[in-house]
Amino acid sequence: MYNVLSLLIGAIIAIMLAFNGELSKGLGNYFSLVIIHLVGFTTILVLMFYKKIKISFKNGLPLYLYSAGAISVFTVMFNNFSYAALGVSIPIALGLLGQIITSLAFDHYGFLGMPKIHFNKKKLIGLLIIIIGISIMTFL
Amino acid sequence: MFFILISIAAGAIVVIARILNTRLYEKIGLIESSFFNYFTGLLSSLILLAIFKDTITLGAFGHIPFWAYLGGILGVSVVISSSIVTPKMSTFYITLIIFIGQLFTGILIDCVALKTIPSAKIIGGLLVVAGLAYNLYVDSSAKDTV
Repeated sequence: MYNVLSLLIGAIIAIMLAFNGELSKGLGNYFSLVIIHLVGFTTILVLMFYKKIKISFKNGLPLYLYSAGAISVFTVMFNNFSYAALGVSIPIALGLLGQIITSLAFDHYGFLGMPKIHFNKKKLIGLLIIIIGISIMTFL
Repeated sequence: MFFILISIAAGAIVVIARILNTRLYEKIGLIESSFFNYFTGLLSSLILLAIFKDTITLGAFGHIPFWAYLGGILGVSVVISSSIVTPKMSTFYITLIIFIGQLFTGILIDCVALKTIPSAKIIGGLLVVAGLAYNLYVDSSAKDTV
């Protein structure tokens, strides 16, 4: 069930990259960034209205927890830059390399309070195959 | 090279944002955390626009297909479904499965856009999945021995 949902998330991300990339080509990088987030924000507001959810700002939560949206802007921006130059699947492959390395680092060091999962050196073999695969995709 | 580096950086940010968003979601709820996600995202976008000042002609809006405006809606569905999945699976496993969906949908989009079948991308993509599957196997056999 969660596997299927994860697969679907991946498919939606790829479609979203093409949509956002086209918008960015037509409207410019920064203007499209505002439109993309405005559409997203409106979607959330509609969901909140539909589910009758009211927002209250809770004190005591560390401010960095609210920063996910602010840093995600750069993911959208970088993807839009790359879309114009490289298309859809190459930025995806490279972005996923960034995700894999970051995920492994977070698991190994337990950054941001994640449970520590020690890095198994055998995984270097898999990582090497991954990098070869991404190189074939990017450079051939 | 510039585009290669920013694409890798984009992926690194995805992982950090996903963890932060899940943490907030556990504290205040799913829709509430998404609200703040898009609120801070919109704010940052406006600041970037104010700094870099895109010039835009009104005619440009009409030349863009309608579906291109829907990325924000897809983004919300990704944020919400990621928050459901993240507490249930390990970071590495989530990365693997989302990868497969993302990569092959991306290759499919390239096939449609370029009207060719990019064999290097398919072969490379299959290698990547093989590498990830191997690492996944290493992970699961390590858990059995603990």
